[in-house]
Amino acid sequence: MSNTKTLFRPSEYFKPTSVAEAVKLLEQYDEKGWLIAGGTDLLVEKDPQVEVLIDIAGLGLDYVKSDSQGVRIGATTTFANIAASPILQKNPYNILVQAASQIGTPQIRNVATIGGNICHAVPSADSAPALLILEANLSISSKAGERSIKIADFFKDVRKDALEKGELLTEVQLPTFPARTGTAFLKKGRVAVADLAVVNVAVRITLTADNTCQETNIALGAVAPVPLRAREAEAMLKGKKPGEEFLEKVAAQAAEEIKPISDVRSSAEYRKTLSRVLVERALKEAIARAQA
Amino acid sequence: MISITLNVNDNEYKVEVAPYHSLCDVLRDKLGFTEVKNSCNQGECGACTVLVDGKPVSSCLMLAAQAEGRKIVTIRGLSKNGELHPLQKKFIEYGAVQCGYCTPGMILAAKSLLDEDPNPSEDEVRIAISGNICRCTGYQQIVEAIMAAAAEK
Repeated sequence: MSNTKTLFRPSEYFKPTSVAEAVKLLEQYDEKGWLIAGGTDLLVEKDPQVEVLIDIAGLGLDYVKSDSQGVRIGATTTFANIAASPILQKNPYNILVQAASQIGTPQIRNVATIGGNICHAVPSADSAPALLILEANLSISSKAGERSIKIADFFKDVRKDALEKGELLTEVQLPTFPARTGTAFLKKGRVAVADLAVVNVAVRITLTADNTCQETNIALGAVAPVPLRAREAEAMLKGKKPGEEFLEKVAAQAAEEIKPISDVRSSAEYRKTLSRVLVERALKEAIARAQA
Repeated sequence: MISITLNVNDNEYKVEVAPYHSLCDVLRDKLGFTEVKNSCNQGECGACTVLVDGKPVSSCLMLAAQAEGRKIVTIRGLSKNGELHPLQKKFIEYGAVQCGYCTPGMILAAKSLLDEDPNPSEDEVRIAISGNICRCTGYQQIVEAIMAAAAEK
Protein backbone atom coordinates (compact mmCIF):
# COMPACT_ATOMS: atom_id res chain seq x y z
CA MET A 1 0.00 0.00 0.00
CA SER A 2 1.12 3.53 -0.63
CA ASN A 3 2.02 5.96 2.10
CA THR A 4 -1.16 7.62 3.38
CA LYS A 5 0.48 11.06 3.22
CA THR A 6 0.49 10.79 -0.55
CA LEU A 7 -3.25 10.25 -0.77
CA PHE A 8 -6.10 12.66 -1.43
CA ARG A 9 -8.10 12.35 1.79
CA PRO A 10 -9.99 15.56 2.64
CA SER A 11 -11.88 15.09 5.88
CA GLU A 12 -14.56 17.75 5.52
CA TYR A 13 -16.93 18.97 2.82
CA PHE A 14 -18.96 22.16 2.95
CA LYS A 15 -21.55 23.42 0.49
CA PRO A 16 -22.17 27.11 1.26
CA THR A 17 -25.15 28.81 -0.36
CA SER A 18 -23.84 32.37 -0.51
CA VAL A 19 -20.58 34.12 -1.40
CA ALA A 20 -20.48 35.56 2.13
CA GLU A 21 -20.70 32.09 3.64
CA ALA A 22 -18.06 30.74 1.24
CA VAL A 23 -15.47 33.43 1.99
CA LYS A 24 -16.11 32.99 5.71
CA LEU A 25 -15.28 29.28 5.38
CA LEU A 26 -12.22 30.13 3.26
CA GLU A 27 -10.92 32.42 5.96
CA GLN A 28 -11.77 29.96 8.74
CA TYR A 29 -9.90 27.05 7.15
CA ASP A 30 -7.10 29.15 5.68
CA GLU A 31 -4.54 26.92 3.94
CA LYS A 32 -6.48 23.73 4.64
CA GLY A 33 -9.54 24.90 2.70
CA TRP A 34 -9.79 24.32 -1.06
CA LEU A 35 -12.52 25.52 -3.35
CA ILE A 36 -14.21 22.99 -5.58
CA ALA A 37 -16.50 24.02 -8.43
CA GLY A 38 -16.63 21.40 -11.20
CA GLY A 39 -13.82 19.43 -9.56
CA THR A 40 -12.43 18.07 -12.82
CA ASP A 41 -8.89 19.32 -12.14
CA LEU A 42 -9.02 18.57 -8.41
CA LEU A 43 -10.06 14.94 -8.93
CA VAL A 44 -7.42 14.31 -11.58
CA GLU A 45 -4.63 15.77 -9.48
CA LYS A 46 -5.89 14.54 -6.07
CA ASP A 47 -3.53 16.81 -4.15
CA PRO A 48 -2.82 15.23 -0.74
CA GLN A 49 -2.63 18.71 0.83
CA VAL A 50 -6.39 19.20 0.45
CA GLU A 51 -8.00 18.82 3.87
CA VAL A 52 -11.27 20.72 3.63
CA LEU A 53 -13.43 21.06 0.50
CA ILE A 54 -15.62 24.11 0.02
CA ASP A 55 -18.06 23.41 -2.83
CA ILE A 56 -19.02 26.68 -4.52
CA ALA A 57 -21.48 25.22 -7.05
CA GLY A 58 -24.43 26.43 -4.95
CA LEU A 59 -23.54 30.13 -4.87
CA GLY A 60 -25.70 31.07 -7.85
CA LEU A 61 -22.69 31.99 -9.97
CA ASP A 62 -23.72 30.00 -13.07
CA TYR A 63 -24.99 32.68 -15.47
CA VAL A 64 -24.21 34.70 -18.61
CA LYS A 65 -25.78 38.17 -18.72
CA SER A 66 -25.37 41.19 -20.96
CA ASP A 67 -26.07 44.89 -20.54
CA SER A 68 -24.80 48.18 -21.95
CA GLN A 69 -21.43 47.64 -20.19
CA GLY A 70 -20.79 44.33 -21.90
CA VAL A 71 -21.10 40.71 -20.78
CA ARG A 72 -20.92 39.23 -17.28
CA ILE A 73 -20.18 35.54 -16.72
CA GLY A 74 -20.53 33.93 -13.29
CA ALA A 75 -17.39 32.13 -12.11
CA THR A 76 -19.07 28.72 -11.85
CA THR A 77 -20.63 28.84 -15.31
CA THR A 78 -19.86 25.54 -17.00
CA PHE A 79 -18.19 25.39 -20.39
CA ALA A 80 -21.28 23.61 -21.75
CA ASN A 81 -23.41 26.58 -20.68
CA ILE A 82 -20.90 29.04 -22.16
CA ALA A 83 -20.90 27.12 -25.46
CA ALA A 84 -24.73 27.18 -25.50
CA SER A 85 -25.21 30.78 -24.35
CA PRO A 86 -27.21 32.84 -26.91
CA ILE A 87 -25.40 35.99 -25.68
CA LEU A 88 -22.00 34.54 -26.52
CA GLN A 89 -22.84 33.30 -30.04
CA LYS A 90 -22.17 36.74 -31.53
CA ASN A 91 -18.84 38.07 -32.78
CA PRO A 92 -16.52 38.94 -31.01
CA TYR A 93 -17.68 37.07 -27.88
CA ASN A 94 -18.11 33.83 -29.82
CA ILE A 95 -14.38 33.24 -29.39
CA LEU A 96 -15.33 31.99 -25.91
CA VAL A 97 -17.76 29.53 -27.49
CA GLN A 98 -14.95 28.29 -29.75
CA ALA A 99 -12.59 27.88 -26.79
CA ALA A 100 -15.24 26.31 -24.53
CA SER A 101 -16.20 23.76 -27.19
CA GLN A 102 -12.62 22.47 -27.42
CA ILE A 103 -12.02 21.88 -23.72
CA GLY A 104 -11.82 18.31 -22.46
CA THR A 105 -14.74 16.05 -23.36
CA PRO A 106 -18.51 16.72 -23.43
CA GLN A 107 -18.62 15.07 -19.99
CA ILE A 108 -16.00 17.48 -18.63
CA ARG A 109 -17.61 20.53 -20.28
CA ASN A 110 -20.86 19.71 -18.46
CA VAL A 111 -19.21 20.29 -15.06
CA ALA A 112 -15.92 22.19 -15.54
CA THR A 113 -16.26 25.93 -14.91
CA ILE A 114 -14.66 29.03 -16.40
CA GLY A 115 -13.62 30.20 -12.93
CA GLY A 116 -11.90 26.91 -12.23
CA ASN A 117 -10.08 27.06 -15.55
CA ILE A 118 -8.80 30.57 -14.77
CA CYS A 119 -7.88 30.01 -11.11
CA HIS A 120 -6.12 26.72 -11.76
CA ALA A 121 -3.72 28.94 -13.73
CA VAL A 122 -2.09 26.28 -15.85
CA PRO A 123 -0.25 27.56 -18.95
CA SER A 124 -2.54 25.59 -21.29
CA ALA A 125 -5.91 26.81 -19.93
CA ASP A 126 -8.01 27.21 -23.07
CA SER A 127 -10.16 30.04 -21.76
CA ALA A 128 -7.11 32.16 -20.89
CA PRO A 129 -5.99 33.39 -24.35
CA ALA A 130 -9.61 34.13 -25.26
CA LEU A 131 -10.12 36.17 -22.07
CA LEU A 132 -6.78 37.93 -22.55
CA ILE A 133 -7.67 39.25 -25.98
CA LEU A 134 -11.17 40.20 -24.78
CA GLU A 135 -9.46 42.18 -21.97
CA ALA A 136 -11.62 40.55 -19.32
CA ASN A 137 -11.94 41.95 -15.84
CA LEU A 138 -12.24 39.62 -12.86
CA SER A 139 -14.32 40.30 -9.74
CA ILE A 140 -12.91 38.86 -6.56
CA SER A 141 -14.61 38.57 -3.16
CA SER A 142 -13.14 38.05 0.27
CA LYS A 143 -14.25 38.71 3.82
CA ALA A 144 -12.64 42.15 3.49
CA GLY A 145 -14.84 43.04 0.53
CA GLU A 146 -14.57 43.06 -3.26
CA ARG A 147 -11.86 44.01 -5.68
CA SER A 148 -11.35 43.68 -9.38
CA ILE A 149 -8.30 42.82 -11.44
CA LYS A 150 -7.50 42.74 -15.14
CA ILE A 151 -6.95 39.26 -16.54
CA ALA A 152 -3.60 40.51 -17.95
CA ASP A 153 -2.43 40.97 -14.33
CA PHE A 154 -3.90 37.72 -13.00
CA PHE A 155 -1.52 34.97 -14.10
CA LYS A 156 1.75 35.05 -12.14
CA ASP A 157 3.49 31.75 -12.83
CA VAL A 158 2.69 28.09 -13.50
CA ARG A 159 -0.33 27.38 -11.24
CA LYS A 160 0.15 30.69 -9.47
CA ASP A 161 -2.30 33.55 -9.78
CA ALA A 162 -3.09 36.86 -8.15
CA LEU A 163 -5.67 35.43 -5.73
CA GLU A 164 -4.71 36.11 -2.12
CA LYS A 165 -5.60 33.82 0.76
CA GLY A 166 -9.32 33.92 1.50
CA GLU A 167 -10.25 35.25 -1.94
CA LEU A 168 -12.86 33.84 -4.29
CA LEU A 169 -13.31 34.68 -7.99
CA THR A 170 -16.99 35.52 -8.52
CA GLU A 171 -17.40 37.00 -11.99
CA VAL A 172 -15.73 37.52 -15.36
CA GLN A 173 -16.63 40.75 -17.13
CA LEU A 174 -16.14 41.43 -20.82
CA PRO A 175 -16.26 44.98 -22.20
CA THR A 176 -18.12 46.07 -25.33
CA PHE A 177 -16.22 46.34 -28.61
CA PRO A 178 -16.52 48.62 -31.64
CA ALA A 179 -18.13 47.42 -34.88
CA ARG A 180 -15.75 45.71 -37.30
CA THR A 181 -14.13 43.70 -34.53
CA GLY A 182 -13.31 40.07 -35.27
CA THR A 183 -11.90 37.28 -33.10
CA ALA A 184 -10.48 33.81 -33.64
CA PHE A 185 -9.37 30.94 -31.37
CA LEU A 186 -7.25 28.03 -32.52
CA LYS A 187 -6.08 25.09 -30.44
CA LYS A 188 -3.80 22.24 -31.38
CA GLY A 189 -3.55 19.20 -29.15
CA ARG A 190 -2.03 15.80 -29.90
CA VAL A 191 -5.55 14.49 -30.45
CA ALA A 192 -8.77 16.39 -31.07
CA VAL A 193 -10.49 15.54 -27.78
CA ALA A 194 -9.62 15.36 -24.08
CA ASP A 195 -6.01 16.55 -24.43
CA LEU A 196 -4.40 19.72 -23.19
CA ALA A 197 -3.27 22.22 -25.80
CA VAL A 198 0.19 21.95 -27.33
CA VAL A 199 -0.44 25.57 -28.29
CA ASN A 200 -3.60 27.68 -28.16
CA VAL A 201 -3.94 31.06 -29.81
CA ALA A 202 -6.51 33.84 -29.63
CA VAL A 203 -6.68 36.99 -31.75
CA ARG A 204 -8.91 40.08 -31.75
CA ILE A 205 -8.72 42.73 -34.45
CA THR A 206 -10.69 45.94 -34.83
CA LEU A 207 -10.59 47.45 -38.33
CA THR A 208 -11.48 50.95 -39.46
CA ALA A 209 -13.89 51.53 -42.37
CA ASP A 210 -10.97 51.36 -44.84
CA ASN A 211 -9.64 48.08 -43.33
CA THR A 212 -6.79 49.65 -41.39
CA CYS A 213 -5.94 47.79 -38.17
CA GLN A 214 -7.04 50.00 -35.33
CA GLU A 215 -6.37 47.59 -32.50
CA THR A 216 -4.96 44.06 -32.41
CA ASN A 217 -4.64 41.66 -29.50
CA ILE A 218 -2.75 38.39 -29.84
CA ALA A 219 -2.55 35.87 -26.98
CA LEU A 220 -0.93 32.46 -26.74
CA GLY A 221 -1.14 29.64 -24.22
CA ALA A 222 0.96 26.58 -23.34
CA VAL A 223 4.09 28.35 -24.62
CA ALA A 224 5.35 30.08 -21.44
CA PRO A 225 4.83 29.81 -17.66
CA VAL A 226 1.68 31.92 -18.08
CA PRO A 227 -0.73 32.60 -20.96
CA LEU A 228 0.60 35.79 -22.53
CA ARG A 229 0.04 38.58 -25.04
CA ALA A 230 2.49 39.03 -27.93
CA ARG A 231 2.64 42.80 -27.58
CA GLU A 232 5.38 43.59 -30.07
CA ALA A 233 3.61 41.59 -32.76
CA GLU A 234 0.39 43.44 -31.89
CA ALA A 235 2.13 46.81 -32.24
CA MET A 236 3.37 45.94 -35.75
CA LEU A 237 -0.21 45.95 -37.02
CA LYS A 238 -1.26 49.32 -35.65
CA GLY A 239 -2.32 51.60 -38.52
CA LYS A 240 -1.45 48.98 -41.16
CA LYS A 241 -3.52 47.45 -43.93
CA PRO A 242 -1.75 44.11 -43.77
CA GLY A 243 -1.27 41.86 -46.77
CA GLU A 244 -0.47 38.16 -46.48
CA GLU A 245 3.31 38.66 -46.36
CA PHE A 246 3.05 41.18 -43.55
CA LEU A 247 0.81 38.86 -41.52
CA GLU A 248 3.52 36.20 -41.86
CA LYS A 249 6.02 38.65 -40.36
CA VAL A 250 3.66 39.50 -37.50
CA ALA A 251 3.18 35.81 -36.77
CA ALA A 252 6.94 35.23 -36.83
CA GLN A 253 7.38 38.09 -34.34
CA ALA A 254 4.70 36.56 -32.05
CA ALA A 255 6.64 33.28 -32.09
CA GLU A 256 9.72 35.20 -30.91
CA GLU A 257 7.88 36.49 -27.83
CA ILE A 258 7.12 33.08 -26.31
CA LYS A 259 9.25 30.85 -24.09
CA PRO A 260 8.11 27.31 -24.79
CA ILE A 261 9.41 24.20 -23.06
CA SER A 262 9.71 20.63 -24.31
CA ASP A 263 7.43 18.16 -22.58
CA VAL A 264 5.45 15.00 -23.22
CA ARG A 265 3.10 16.88 -25.58
CA SER A 266 5.62 18.61 -27.81
CA SER A 267 9.17 19.81 -28.26
CA ALA A 268 9.85 23.50 -27.70
CA GLU A 269 10.86 23.82 -31.37
CA TYR A 270 7.55 22.41 -32.56
CA ARG A 271 5.64 24.74 -30.22
CA LYS A 272 7.49 27.68 -31.75
CA THR A 273 6.70 26.63 -35.31
CA LEU A 274 3.11 25.83 -34.42
CA SER A 275 2.69 29.20 -32.71
CA ARG A 276 3.77 31.02 -35.86
CA VAL A 277 1.40 28.99 -38.04
CA LEU A 278 -1.58 29.31 -35.68
CA VAL A 279 -1.10 33.06 -35.12
CA GLU A 280 -1.04 33.64 -38.88
CA ARG A 281 -4.20 31.58 -39.39
CA ALA A 282 -5.95 33.23 -36.45
CA LEU A 283 -5.06 36.72 -37.74
CA LYS A 284 -6.58 35.89 -41.14
CA GLU A 285 -9.72 34.43 -39.54
CA ALA A 286 -10.16 37.43 -37.22
CA ILE A 287 -9.72 39.89 -40.10
CA ALA A 288 -12.29 38.01 -42.19
CA ARG A 289 -14.76 38.14 -39.28
CA ALA A 290 -14.10 41.84 -38.69
CA GLN A 291 -14.94 42.50 -42.35
CA ALA A 292 -18.03 40.28 -42.36
CA MET B 1 -17.93 10.50 6.86
CA ILE B 2 -20.92 12.46 5.71
CA SER B 3 -24.46 11.23 5.22
CA ILE B 4 -25.99 12.05 1.83
CA THR B 5 -29.00 10.99 -0.20
CA LEU B 6 -28.49 10.13 -3.84
CA ASN B 7 -31.30 9.89 -6.37
CA VAL B 8 -30.34 7.10 -8.77
CA ASN B 9 -32.74 5.92 -11.47
CA ASP B 10 -35.62 7.60 -9.59
CA ASN B 11 -34.89 5.83 -6.31
CA GLU B 12 -33.45 7.53 -3.22
CA TYR B 13 -30.47 5.99 -1.45
CA LYS B 14 -29.13 7.13 1.91
CA VAL B 15 -25.43 6.50 2.01
CA GLU B 16 -22.42 7.34 4.18
CA VAL B 17 -19.52 8.68 2.11
CA ALA B 18 -16.15 10.25 2.73
CA PRO B 19 -15.64 13.73 1.23
CA TYR B 20 -13.13 12.27 -1.23
CA HIS B 21 -15.33 9.42 -2.54
CA SER B 22 -16.08 9.80 -6.21
CA LEU B 23 -19.62 9.31 -7.47
CA CYS B 24 -18.31 6.38 -9.52
CA ASP B 25 -16.87 4.59 -6.47
CA VAL B 26 -20.00 5.15 -4.40
CA LEU B 27 -22.34 3.98 -7.18
CA ARG B 28 -20.26 0.83 -7.75
CA ASP B 29 -18.94 -0.13 -4.33
CA LYS B 30 -21.59 1.14 -1.92
CA LEU B 31 -24.78 0.96 -3.99
CA GLY B 32 -24.01 -1.92 -6.37
CA PHE B 33 -24.47 -0.06 -9.67
CA THR B 34 -21.59 -1.99 -11.26
CA GLU B 35 -22.87 -1.14 -14.75
CA VAL B 36 -21.04 2.17 -14.18
CA LYS B 37 -17.60 1.14 -15.46
CA ASN B 38 -14.39 2.47 -14.03
CA SER B 39 -11.44 2.57 -16.36
CA CYS B 40 -9.06 5.54 -16.64
CA ASN B 41 -10.22 7.37 -13.48
CA GLN B 42 -9.09 10.62 -15.15
CA GLY B 43 -12.13 11.70 -17.13
CA GLU B 44 -10.64 10.70 -20.47
CA CYS B 45 -12.34 7.44 -21.42
CA GLY B 46 -16.03 7.99 -20.66
CA ALA B 47 -16.64 4.45 -19.37
CA CYS B 48 -17.95 5.81 -16.05
CA THR B 49 -20.42 8.18 -17.73
CA VAL B 50 -23.74 8.67 -15.95
CA LEU B 51 -26.41 11.29 -16.56
CA VAL B 52 -26.65 13.99 -13.91
CA ASP B 53 -29.76 16.13 -14.41
CA GLY B 54 -29.89 14.76 -17.95
CA LYS B 55 -26.31 15.62 -18.92
CA PRO B 56 -23.46 13.12 -19.32
CA VAL B 57 -20.69 13.51 -16.75
CA SER B 58 -17.65 11.43 -15.86
CA SER B 59 -18.62 9.98 -12.47
CA CYS B 60 -14.92 9.42 -11.64
CA LEU B 61 -14.43 13.21 -11.70
CA MET B 62 -17.43 14.09 -9.56
CA LEU B 63 -17.55 13.65 -5.82
CA ALA B 64 -20.55 11.73 -4.51
CA ALA B 65 -21.23 14.73 -2.27
CA GLN B 66 -21.46 17.00 -5.32
CA ALA B 67 -24.22 14.79 -6.76
CA GLU B 68 -26.57 15.13 -3.80
CA GLY B 69 -29.92 16.62 -4.76
CA ARG B 70 -29.43 15.86 -8.45
CA LYS B 71 -31.00 13.17 -10.63
CA ILE B 72 -28.53 10.44 -11.54
CA VAL B 73 -29.28 7.95 -14.31
CA THR B 74 -27.21 4.83 -15.02
CA ILE B 75 -27.74 2.52 -17.99
CA ARG B 76 -29.95 0.36 -15.74
CA GLY B 77 -32.40 3.24 -15.52
CA LEU B 78 -33.13 3.28 -19.26
CA SER B 79 -35.22 0.14 -19.70
CA LYS B 80 -38.84 0.47 -18.64
CA ASN B 81 -40.95 -2.50 -17.43
CA GLY B 82 -38.41 -4.97 -18.75
CA GLU B 83 -38.33 -3.38 -22.20
CA LEU B 84 -35.04 -2.04 -23.52
CA HIS B 85 -34.67 1.62 -24.50
CA PRO B 86 -34.75 2.18 -28.29
CA LEU B 87 -31.02 3.05 -28.21
CA GLN B 88 -30.24 -0.25 -26.50
CA LYS B 89 -32.25 -2.14 -29.12
CA LYS B 90 -30.43 -0.38 -31.96
CA PHE B 91 -27.03 -1.06 -30.39
CA ILE B 92 -27.88 -4.78 -30.43
CA GLU B 93 -29.36 -4.67 -33.93
CA TYR B 94 -26.37 -2.83 -35.45
CA GLY B 95 -23.66 -4.87 -33.70
CA ALA B 96 -22.53 -1.78 -31.80
CA VAL B 97 -21.57 -3.84 -28.73
CA GLN B 98 -18.30 -5.73 -28.85
CA CYS B 99 -16.58 -6.15 -25.46
CA GLY B 100 -19.33 -3.98 -23.98
CA TYR B 101 -17.19 -1.98 -21.58
CA CYS B 102 -17.83 1.40 -23.25
CA THR B 103 -21.48 0.62 -24.03
CA PRO B 104 -23.21 2.05 -20.93
CA GLY B 105 -21.37 5.36 -21.33
CA MET B 106 -21.87 5.46 -25.10
CA ILE B 107 -25.63 4.90 -24.79
CA LEU B 108 -26.03 7.47 -22.01
CA ALA B 109 -24.07 10.10 -23.98
CA ALA B 110 -26.26 9.31 -27.00
CA LYS B 111 -29.46 9.49 -24.92
CA SER B 112 -28.59 12.96 -23.68
CA LEU B 113 -27.99 14.08 -27.28
CA LEU B 114 -31.26 12.63 -28.59
CA ASP B 115 -33.24 14.08 -25.67
CA GLU B 116 -31.95 17.51 -26.66
CA ASP B 117 -31.89 17.10 -30.42
CA PRO B 118 -33.99 14.25 -31.84
CA ASN B 119 -32.55 14.74 -35.35
CA PRO B 120 -28.79 15.16 -35.00
CA SER B 121 -26.36 15.12 -37.92
CA GLU B 122 -23.68 12.43 -38.02
CA ASP B 123 -21.13 15.08 -36.97
CA GLU B 124 -23.25 15.98 -33.94
CA VAL B 125 -23.46 12.30 -32.99
CA ARG B 126 -19.68 11.96 -33.25
CA ILE B 127 -19.14 15.06 -31.11
CA ALA B 128 -21.65 13.78 -28.52
CA ILE B 129 -19.71 10.53 -28.12
CA SER B 130 -16.26 12.15 -28.46
CA GLY B 131 -15.73 11.71 -24.71
CA ASN B 132 -16.33 7.97 -24.91
CA ILE B 133 -13.51 5.72 -26.06
CA CYS B 134 -14.19 2.31 -27.64
CA ARG B 135 -11.08 0.15 -27.59
CA CYS B 136 -12.68 -2.40 -29.90
CA THR B 137 -12.92 0.52 -32.40
CA GLY B 138 -16.49 -0.18 -33.31
CA TYR B 139 -17.29 3.51 -33.73
CA GLN B 140 -18.93 3.11 -37.14
CA GLN B 141 -21.56 0.67 -35.85
CA ILE B 142 -22.11 2.83 -32.76
CA VAL B 143 -22.72 5.95 -34.87
CA GLU B 144 -25.04 3.98 -37.18
CA ALA B 145 -26.99 2.62 -34.20
CA ILE B 146 -27.48 6.11 -32.76
CA MET B 147 -28.52 7.54 -36.15
CA ALA B 148 -31.00 4.65 -36.56
CA ALA B 149 -32.47 5.28 -33.10
CA ALA B 150 -32.85 8.95 -33.99
CA ALA B 151 -34.52 8.15 -37.31
CA GLU B 152 -37.09 5.98 -35.55
CA LYS B 153 -38.13 8.62 -33.02
